[in-house]
Amino acid sequence: MKLAVPSASQVTYDQLRWMSVCLALALAVHAASLPVWLLAAIAAAIAIRLALAARGYAVPSRTIRIVVAAVSIGILFLQLHTFNGVAAGSSLLSLVAGLKLFETQSRRDLYVVALIIYFLSLAALLRSESFWLLAYLLAVSWLTTATLLRLGDSTQPSDWRRSARYAGRISAQALPLALVLWLFFPRFDGPLWRVPSDTRGAETGLSDTMSPGDITDLALSDDIAFRVHFDGPPPPPAERYWRGPVLHDFDGHTWRRTVAFRGQATGLAPLGIAYHYVVSLEPNQHNWIFALDWPDRWDLSDAYLTSDDMLVRPALLSRPLDVSISSHTHVQSTEPLSEAARRRDTWLPRGINPRTRQLALELRRSHPDDLAYANAVLDMFHRQQFFYTLEPPPLGLNSVDEFLFDTKRGFCGHYASAFAALMRAAGIPARVVTGYHGGLYNRFADYWIVAQSDAHAWDEVWIEGHGWTRVDPTSAVAPGRVEPGAQGALAAGSRLSGRWRGPLSWLADARLQFDALRQLWRERVLRFDQRSQDGLLTRLGISEPDGQKIAMVMGAGLVLVFIWLTWQIRREQRPDPKDPVLRAYHKLCRKLAAAGLPRRPSEGAETFAARVASERPDLGARVGPLLRRYSRLRYGASRRAAAERWFVARVRAFNPRRAALEARSSQDRARTAR
Amino acid sequence: MRSLPDTAIARIRAWSARRHGVDGLPVKIERRRIYILPTRFGLMLTALLIAMLIAGLNYSSNLGLAFAFFMVSTMLVAMHHCHRNLLGLTVDAKVEVEAFAGADAYFQFMLRNESAVDRCDVAVRLGTASGSPLVEATRSVAIGSYEEVVLAVPVANRGVSRWSQFELRTRYPFGWFRAWTYVQAPLTAFVAPSPRGNRPLPAANAATGESRRAESRGEEDFAGLRSYAPGIPLKHMAWKTLARGGEAAVRIYGDLGARPEWLEWSSLDGLDAETRLSQLCRWITECEAGLPRPYGLRIPGIDIPPGRGPAHRSRCLRALACHGMPSA
Repeated sequence: MKLAVPSASQVTYDQLRWMSVCLALALAVHAASLPVWLLAAIAAAIAIRLALAARGYAVPSRTIRIVVAAVSIGILFLQLHTFNGVAAGSSLLSLVAGLKLFETQSRRDLYVVALIIYFLSLAALLRSESFWLLAYLLAVSWLTTATLLRLGDSTQPSDWRRSARYAGRISAQALPLALVLWLFFPRFDGPLWRVPSDTRGAETGLSDTMSPGDITDLALSDDIAFRVHFDGPPPPPAERYWRGPVLHDFDGHTWRRTVAFRGQATGLAPLGIAYHYVVSLEPNQHNWIFALDWPDRWDLSDAYLTSDDMLVRPALLSRPLDVSISSHTHVQSTEPLSEAARRRDTWLPRGINPRTRQLALELRRSHPDDLAYANAVLDMFHRQQFFYTLEPPPLGLNSVDEFLFDTKRGFCGHYASAFAALMRAAGIPARVVTGYHGGLYNRFADYWIVAQSDAHAWDEVWIEGHGWTRVDPTSAVAPGRVEPGAQGALAAGSRLSGRWRGPLSWLADARLQFDALRQLWRERVLRFDQRSQDGLLTRLGISEPDGQKIAMVMGAGLVLVFIWLTWQIRREQRPDPKDPVLRAYHKLCRKLAAAGLPRRPSEGAETFAARVASERPDLGARVGPLLRRYSRLRYGASRRAAAERWFVARVRAFNPRRAALEARSSQDRARTAR
Repeated sequence: MRSLPDTAIARIRAWSARRHGVDGLPVKIERRRIYILPTRFGLMLTALLIAMLIAGLNYSSNLGLAFAFFMVSTMLVAMHHCHRNLLGLTVDAKVEVEAFAGADAYFQFMLRNESAVDRCDVAVRLGTASGSPLVEATRSVAIGSYEEVVLAVPVANRGVSRWSQFELRTRYPFGWFRAWTYVQAPLTAFVAPSPRGNRPLPAANAATGESRRAESRGEEDFAGLRSYAPGIPLKHMAWKTLARGGEAAVRIYGDLGARPEWLEWSSLDGLDAETRLSQLCRWITECEAGLPRPYGLRIPGIDIPPGRGPAHRSRCLRALACHGMPSA
C-alpha cells in the first residue's frame, strides 16, 4: 500500500468525509429501492476510502479499481437487465457515485461526486410528491454546495459554520429566482417521449376480486383512497356511491372480474341534476377511477367507460391523479340488456349453494315481479336475525348457504354476495359493485376525504323498464343488530370511526387541518400546469394568456429578481455603518490620528498595531491589545457579545494623552524601584 | 482548469488591453473590467441541469422541476457571487524590480479589501507574455484587511523583462465559474547578470593589511562626521548631533569615508563582457552585504557616483541589466 503523495489538488480527509456524508444523505432516500448488496457495497467503498484517507494512504491501484467497478456494474446489470428508467438508473447512478468516491484522488473527482448527488436528488423527486422530501433534498444540496465551497484553494481553512452560512445565503438568494422560473416555465401536457414504466408497486385498496371478509381488512385502514372537491353542493349522503370494480363471475365463494369489458358503454339517460367534482386519487396500482355513480363526462383523454359503466384508463395508477368529472346520481338505461350480458349476469355455478337456490325458488313463487322479489329479499335481511359485524365467522365453499342459514353474521361483502346470488337464482340479472360509500367532509378546506374504511360493496339488478338499479342490501340490516367491532360502536350507514372520526375531537381536527394542507400542496404545487399558469396570468390582470405572454411575464419577473439580486449583493458588500465594533474601531483610529498616528489606508489592524508599538512605545502597550482584539472580533470565527462590549467600552475610555502619561509614570516607578 | 484555448485567451487579453488602456496603480476593480465564464466543471453542471430540466418536464414532475430550477438559480446566483469576489478589490503592485539571471524576480502585489465581505481564493497570475512560465499565487483577503502576494517569476537571461499586464482570477465560491480581470500595468524586471566571479574587491586589492586592522578597531578610530544616507546602519548614527538639532549625521571611522570602493569595468581586463558584468554584479552584492563602505560603478557609458543602500543598489543593478541591451 502506497502512501499518498500530497499535492495542491489532493483531497483532504475533511473534504472526503463531508462529501461522503452528503452522498450518504442523498442515497438514504433511494435506500428502499436499491438492492441490499448494492447498499452494502457502496457503504464499504466509502468506508474503505475514508479509512485509507484517515491513515494517509493512497487509493487502491488502478487494476483493483477497474475490476471492482466492472464486477459490481456487471452484477447490477445481471440483476436489473436494464439501466433504463428511473429505478434502474438511480441504482446505477448510486453505484457510480460510490465507485467515484472510492477512486477519488483529486478534488476534481469530488466535483463529479457532487454532480451525481444533485442528480440522485432529482431522481428521487421524480417519483415522489412529498413536501418533506423536497425540503430534505434542498437541504442536502445546500450541504453539498457548502462542501464544494471547501474544495476551493482556500489559503486559510475557515470553519464549517461559515461555509454552511455562505452556501445557505447563496441558496436563499436562489429561491426567488427559482420561484419565478418554476411558475412561468412552459409546461407540456404529455411526456416528451415515453419512459419505461417503473416496477409495479404494491396494490392498495379494493381489488378486482371479492371473497367474504375481504373488505373487512380495508374497513380497519384509515389510509386515504381519494379526496373529492365538489363544485357546488354535494349529493345527499344516500347517493354518495363511488363506483369501483364491477364483479360478474361467481364461483360460489368469490366474485371476480375476469373479462375486460372494453366496448360500448350501455346507453344511460341522465335524470335530475349533474354534480361536478374533482377526484384526487391516491396511487393504487389499478387502472380504475372512482367516480360518483354514474359518470358521464371527464377531462382525461385516455379514460373510457366500460360496458358495465366503470371509468378506467389504460395505465395503472402509480402516481396521484386528479380527474375532473361530472356525474348524475339518477340515470335510466335506454338500451335493452344484451343476451350475452343477461347470460353472464344470471349464471351461478351448478351444485353449489343448493339451499340458496331452494330459497330463491320458494320466494320467487310468491313474488313473480322482479322488483317485488328483490324487496322480499331485503325484507328478509331486515326481519330475520341478520347481524352486521366486522368479525364474521369464516365461510366455506358454499359461502352463501352458510351465511344465509347458519352464521347470519357478515359485512357488506356478505350481504352483497348473498343478495346477488339470490337474484341470479331467480333469473334476475345481478352484479356486485365494489367501491366506496360516503366520505368525511373536511370543513377546513371544503373537500371530502374518502378513506379505505369507506370501502363498500353493493349490488345492481336489472329491472325491466328501469335498467340497472342499485340495491344496497347492507342498509337493510336493522340498525339495532350492528355488533361492536374493533373500533367501537358502528353503524351500517356510517361505517368505521377510525382515526379520522376519533373520540378526541381536537386530534381529529388537527388531522383534518394537516390533511387540508396536504391537499393544498397537491392542488397548488403538484398539479400546477399550463392551466394554472393561465389562471395566474389572469389574476395578474393579463387577459387571454398564451405562451408568448407567459414568456414575457417570466422575462419581466427574471429582470426584477436580478435587479433585487444585484441590490442584495451590493448591500452585502458595503460595510455596515451600524456595526458597533466597526464604529469603535473607526473611533480608535480617529483618536490615534489626533495623537499624530494616522492609520495608513493599506494597513490592517495588526500591522497598524506593530507600527504604533515601534513608533510610540508609550501608547503601544495600551493600543496593541485593543487593535488585536478588533482583528479577532472582526476576522475570528465567532463574535461574542461580551467581547464586543468590552472592546467598545475600552475604545470609549481610551485617551492617548492620558495613556502616554500613565505609561511614562509607570516606567518611572519601575526605574525608581530598581 | 482551462476551458478556453490559448489563442482565444490571448485575443481576449489583447482586446482588454485595447479597451482599458494602461492602468495607474493602485487600481480598484470595477464591474466592466471583470470577465466571467463557466469552468469545465461549470459546463458539466450546465449539461446536468439541462438533463434535469428535461427529466422534470418529461415526467411532468413539478417537484423535480422545482429542484432543477433551484439548482439553475443557485448556479446563476453563484455566478453573481463569483463576479462579486473580484469587484471592488483594490490592487497595487511594485512595478519595477531587480533580479538576477537564472534566479527569480520577486514581484510584490497588494490586495486590499475595504468591503464588508471576505474575498476568498483570489489568484494573482503573471502571464506568459514574454515567454516565461505562468506563475500564480492564491490568497484570501478578509473584511477590511489586505494581503501581500509575492510572485517569484523565474528569469533566465540578463536584460529587461517586461509584462504588459497581470491577471486576478477567482473560481470562488463553487468552482462553477471563473471570473478574471486584467490589470494593464506594465511590470518590469531588470535582470542583472548572475553574480559570479572570484576576483577580490578592487579596493581590498589596493588596501594594506594595516587598514583592514584599522577597520576592525571600530569605534576607537573615529574619523569624523558625514551626512546620513539611507542604508547606513543606525549604530553609526550621531544621535547627539541629531538631538542638538543638527542634521542627521553618521560617525565615520578610520579610512571608511575617505576611500569609496570603485567597481570598474576597466579593471577587469582580459574577460568578455558578460563575465565582466557578472563579476561587477558579485562585487555589488558583496559591498552591500559587507562593510558600510560606499561604492561606485563605472561601466562604459555609465558612471554612478559612490553611495549605499537599496536605491543605490537598484541603480547599479539596473545599469548592469541594461548594459548593451537595445531598448534599454
